[in-house]
Amino acid sequence: MKNNIRIERAIKNITQEELSKLVQVSRQTINAIESGKYVPSTLLSLKISKIFEKTVNDIFQLEESDWKES
Amino acid sequence: MKPNYLLSNQFKKIGWIIFVPSMILGLLFVIFQFQPKFLDIKVFAILDSSNAPWDSWVNFCTVTHTNAIDEIIGILLIISSFFIAFSKEKNEDEFISKIRLESLLWATYVNYAILIVSILFVYGGSFFWVLVFNIFTILLFFIIRFNWVIRKSKKIAKNEK
Repeated sequence: MKNNIRIERAIKNITQEELSKLVQVSRQTINAIESGKYVPSTLLSLKISKIFEKTVNDIFQLEESDWKES
Repeated sequence: MKPNYLLSNQFKKIGWIIFVPSMILGLLFVIFQFQPKFLDIKVFAILDSSNAPWDSWVNFCTVTHTNAIDEIIGILLIISSFFIAFSKEKNEDEFISKIRLESLLWATYVNYAILIVSILFVYGGSFFWVLVFNIFTILLFFIIRFNWVIRKSKKIAKNEK
């Protein structure tokens, strides 16, 4: 799964630390999501989208590899 | 919110405070057979084969003599390891829960892999000690793995803006 949190953060001019506080998770979690190491829950995805005032689909996108069995 | 079956964060500190002295006592017991005289006591036993006249002899619901140091160390080590392993991080969230579960699985694999190797290659009285250590190793492997991964992810996050 791809996401453009990094870009949205740049637009809004907030750090990983600030975003993590806004959505009530640890800083590692935001970092792991941004670098594609962790796929957030629906709840957290909704919260992140809300902060950026976008829909979940604007922030997170499926990739071809997501359809293959792991 | 659904319950996550974890203790609150302050148990972690309490855990370490109990764990370190218990570990030291445990090592003294294993290496030097440290058994203070005042802990020689009579205890109730559901099963006791300590004064068995032959191998398969077991007494049920009886009173027996023991030095209580190993009982005390064992219980303190298990409880303190539980406190350290299963108390919440300060910022426990879904990503940390995932690392927690992965680490528990990892620790179980490693623990039983070592046990299988020990079953194959350790014999006689030494195998008894393998089983004794095995009581604690699964939690110990979990604590080491979990904290290592958490620390690593913290470090990576810190290096970025």
